[in-house]
Amino acid sequence: MAFYEQHIHPKPTTFLSKYIFSFDHKMIARQFIWYGILGLGLGGMMAMLIRWTLSNPGVPFPVLGNLFFPMSGGVVPPDSYAMLFTMHGTIMIFYAITPLLIGAFGNFCIPLMIGARDMAFPAMNMLSFWLAVLSAIILVASLFVPLGAAASGWTAYPTLSTLIGSPGVGQTLWAIAIFVLGISSTMGAINYITTVITLRAPGMGYFDMPLTVWGLWLTAILNAIFLPVLGAGGLLLVFDRVFGTQFFLAGAAATNGTGDPVLFQHVFWIFGHPEVYILILPAWGMVSDILSFFSRKPAFGAKATALAMTSITILSTLVYGHHMYTTQMSPLLTQTFMTLTMTISIPSAIFFANWLGTLWRGSIRFTSPMVFSMGVVFVFGLGGLTGLYLGTVTTDLYLHDTYFVVGHFHYTMAASVLLGSFAAIYFWFPKMFGKMLCEKLALTHFWITFLGLNGVFMGMMMVGYGGMHRRIYNPFIYEYLEKLIPLNALITTAALLMGIGQIPFLINLVSTLFFKKEMAPDNPWEVGTLEWTIPTPAPHYNFKNIPVVKCGPHEFGNPNLTTGRDFQYQTEELVKG
Amino acid sequence: MNTLEVKNNIQYSGEGEKLAASIAMIVVLVSFSMLFASLFLAYFYYRITEPVWPPMGMERLNLFVPTMSTTFIILSSISLFGFNHYFKEANQLKMKLTLALTIGPALAFMGSQLFLWESFKNIGLYASSGIFPSIIYSFTWIHVAHIVAAIFSLLWLVPISLKSEHTFKDENVVLNVGKFWHFLSIIWLIIYFSIFVF
Repeated sequence: MAFYEQHIHPKPTTFLSKYIFSFDHKMIARQFIWYGILGLGLGGMMAMLIRWTLSNPGVPFPVLGNLFFPMSGGVVPPDSYAMLFTMHGTIMIFYAITPLLIGAFGNFCIPLMIGARDMAFPAMNMLSFWLAVLSAIILVASLFVPLGAAASGWTAYPTLSTLIGSPGVGQTLWAIAIFVLGISSTMGAINYITTVITLRAPGMGYFDMPLTVWGLWLTAILNAIFLPVLGAGGLLLVFDRVFGTQFFLAGAAATNGTGDPVLFQHVFWIFGHPEVYILILPAWGMVSDILSFFSRKPAFGAKATALAMTSITILSTLVYGHHMYTTQMSPLLTQTFMTLTMTISIPSAIFFANWLGTLWRGSIRFTSPMVFSMGVVFVFGLGGLTGLYLGTVTTDLYLHDTYFVVGHFHYTMAASVLLGSFAAIYFWFPKMFGKMLCEKLALTHFWITFLGLNGVFMGMMMVGYGGMHRRIYNPFIYEYLEKLIPLNALITTAALLMGIGQIPFLINLVSTLFFKKEMAPDNPWEVGTLEWTIPTPAPHYNFKNIPVVKCGPHEFGNPNLTTGRDFQYQTEELVKG
Repeated sequence: MNTLEVKNNIQYSGEGEKLAASIAMIVVLVSFSMLFASLFLAYFYYRITEPVWPPMGMERLNLFVPTMSTTFIILSSISLFGFNHYFKEANQLKMKLTLALTIGPALAFMGSQLFLWESFKNIGLYASSGIFPSIIYSFTWIHVAHIVAAIFSLLWLVPISLKSEHTFKDENVVLNVGKFWHFLSIIWLIIYFSIFVF
């Protein structure tokens, strides 16, 4: 059964029920957008502190240094540096990208694009957001406790993350915050999975769903299956720290123990590798759709793209060991994990080729969502290719834990996902808020961000290849790395450029939301998916009448069309010759 | 016609909600299964890598209390099956009886777990005494945390058992609470056999 009529909540009338404790998926999406943008700002600020330290070791951070680190005269101290890179990673992954792509656009797009009035469980949806807020409060509070925040990296490896490595309460709060966020995301996942299965509009088969929904749905499935694994690891870590259990303590660290720190790495990466795909799958889906929308062509091999994403989802669960080649894993296992990892290249190549196939000879419209999506194609290509060197045992042994890894995963998880998020924001903004963002500012935003991020992450791969290790406070005390100081200064300059590049975005956001009077048309991009068949901004309960779906989401450029448009709405019968 | 006319005063059959609730419950149980599977992965990892189990000269634990817990939870699960059966038959008297026989042993299971931890303390076995007690304490803590939630959900069945007419929402509650409770019984059985017995 693909559809049932939901119970309809009355339209909210009070400020609290409309803006704070809203059941409406569109309002929850907007709440998640602000949450994610705040996270991006905080994580980005931390990135600037990290970059400053690496290019100017021992020099006070300009302007704000004395405010943050008065004891050291504005210089980032070594322990704070460890806290900064830990919290930067944690915030960017769990409190910026996750809420933006999955929280905001999952909530906004799924019901609208499948023709539903809301999520299957609106109350749980609201609870999911407020649990995420609670989690963020716990995490931010951990910055202010004695001995400071977590400092063991976003991977929280024991024994760095046990009481021996991190004696303060910050690391415990970190684990609790992640656990609470895990519950929130699992609730979201339950909603997304159920909504897609049960609330697709009549006539909409799985392959009639836009690829955005495919990406979000597969992400939700991975979330529901693998977040509890991190939850289990986090719980045992909290037990070790609070109740004195000995899961991750060994040797001299344990009083009587026979625990094992490496076990945490297994548990972490069983979750952690699918997490990479949890972050990127929604962006893949959105980019696959947007490329087709603005090439004015059907998505090339849309079904194959959906199936390739599905096979990557399945394969992503079998490759976690490639993060652990240097933990004395047996050669048989390393080779197995390497082979499985390489297998992922096949479906990745399929959908990547499909992207290029979609662009090929299209009537491309270089709108802001399109240029951001093309940016994703470029940076994801680079990120994916550099992954091959890390998935291969022989090269990974050299590159492991260097800045090459940092550059690689930033290209895939940060650059691609960030550009994908911006593409999504520019694309769905009119339907979300009823106004069009300024295209000129958006393109300025794109080019500065794009140049900046390539400078940062390409530079990182170069210094990594040169042998610079990650997570070292001052790598230049080692003579062989001294020559990398200028390159590091260049990376920092590029990072600054990327930071400055966000100013046009913020100006655009604020000026459009608060000062622009002109409302956006119902279908400004001339796209046929269901969300563009309704008024802008999307009204309460979305569809006055539930639509009946009659064709796929990418019907462009059909030569037999006589409507004067070059696209068809999904509610229209497919025109045949 | 491009749209289905759907009015707000439509008669809900409840089939859609039932399906949605059922799918959601399955996803919840898959999530919980992964949580416990990760814990068991940890347990088997330690067990396989230790030359002798229990390690560090520890002795096997007395099976009396865990066996009592097992008896209580099985009894409770069987009674809940009965409750489900009589709910379908709308036999109010037997519903009340079977629900009492579900909640009673469920509370007894909780009590037996508290007693289990007390008995460990009496023999000087604390969570910090090594990996073996760490596993036993942590697994039972996490399981009991779920049991507490499940007992609250069992209490949700009380007003349903007192009603003579039932809606599709009641049916949803009975089905899904049942799934959750039976799931926790199965998890306990795995804990009992893998950690206490073998």
